[in-house]
Amino acid sequence: MENLISKKDLLEEANISYGQLYRWKRKNLIPENWFIRKSTFTGQETFFPKDDILLRIEKIKTLKDDLSLDELADMFSPSPTLTSLAAEELTKRNIVSHTAVEMYNNFHGPTHSFSFNQLLTLYVLNSLLQTGDVNRTEGVDLLKLFDEHAQSTKNSESELIFIRKMGVSFFILTPEPANLLLEPQAKKIAHYKLSQCMEELKLKLS
Amino acid sequence: MERTQLKNISISGSGTSSGGEFNQVKVNGSAHIYGDLICEEFKCNGSAHLEGNITTDTAKINGSTHFEGDVEVKEMTINGSTDIDGHLLCDELKVQGSSSIKGDVKGKEIIVRGSASVQGNVSSDEVDVKGQIKIKGDCEAESFEARGNFKIDGLLNAGTIDVELLRHCEAKEIGGENITVKKTRDASGFKKLIKFFMSNHTDQLTAEVIEGDYLYLEHTHAEVVRGNTIEIGPGCDIKRIEYKTSLEIDQNAKVGTQEKI
Repeated sequence: MENLISKKDLLEEANISYGQLYRWKRKNLIPENWFIRKSTFTGQETFFPKDDILLRIEKIKTLKDDLSLDELADMFSPSPTLTSLAAEELTKRNIVSHTAVEMYNNFHGPTHSFSFNQLLTLYVLNSLLQTGDVNRTEGVDLLKLFDEHAQSTKNSESELIFIRKMGVSFFILTPEPANLLLEPQAKKIAHYKLSQCMEELKLKLS
Repeated sequence: MERTQLKNISISGSGTSSGGEFNQVKVNGSAHIYGDLICEEFKCNGSAHLEGNITTDTAKINGSTHFEGDVEVKEMTINGSTDIDGHLLCDELKVQGSSSIKGDVKGKEIIVRGSASVQGNVSSDEVDVKGQIKIKGDCEAESFEARGNFKIDGLLNAGTIDVELLRHCEAKEIGGENITVKKTRDASGFKKLIKFFMSNHTDQLTAEVIEGDYLYLEHTHAEVVRGNTIEIGPGCDIKRIEYKTSLEIDQNAKVGTQEKI
């Protein structure tokens, strides 16, 4: 079971008021499916997935001085903000590394302008390479996976998990929320929520 | 496309049209339109039945109209009765007669002076009701003002909620920044007359949960009320109150447990 936080505890922990929470909900900054209703001894109470909501509120609070609530909503929404970006722009603005673009080009052939979904693939590949979680051949596996399942990454509500056991590695792409139970020798190397990657990417692009 | 080249159609008596793109569509008798309609102005003084979707700048309905599809309009005035089977997307909606919408309503300014019923959700910058509104889904607005009767089966979420009660108002949950619920003070002759015939209805608001920053409530029945600054007026019956800054309770109110957080 996912770690949940009650509305009351959330307001206290994040130091916000009921009014703010409702306003952000109205502006679609907090997704509807995060509001989980449960019966308790004091009647109906609302709970939230703890890590997700605290992270989201932290982001809203730090960004709300620079961006309007509507701009923030665009950032958090699962639909892409821009249609395409030129290849030179990408490395020039330091959005992804040169290596990642090169690997992408080797796999797909030279690409001059990237769509948002291609950018997302690049971004995930780049982060995995940067952290050293995957090597180059595994990176190609990732590109293959994203290429074959382009449709399922499009609606962003999926998670990417990278597992290694005794030197053998593989990727899993699964709808959110993923609850995987692993055997002891298997090691979860990386776990990405694509919706969060998308937010980070949008922030970098804006 | 050059808009000025578009033609007008006017149906007087009884007629049909297959739909299309027009400048002005006017119905004075009874009309049946079989396709989608795109126009600048839609006016119905009789009765109209549209099987498709409609996109128009202005729509004025003085008779009765039934839209089977979605309606997208900048300014819509309903003086008669209107049924919409799809969604309604508008800038300004004024209902002076009666309307029933099966889908969602999205707008900037929604004014109800008659009665409106929505099966889906309502979201608008402003919702102003002097009459009656029934919403099966949620209602979201920056400002929600009601002088009359409302029933919301979902969540009423608005920045400012200002309610003057008439008869039995109801919402499952209410949340926002400033929430004011008052009993109507001016007992005009007309209202007295209504009350005479509806004597079994008392002015009252019922909700399960009410949460906000500043709350003033009268004649409100709720399971839980939570907020920063809460003032409980006469006629309230609240099982549990959780407050942060201050709480005042009128002597004619009934409150179960209260807790400062």
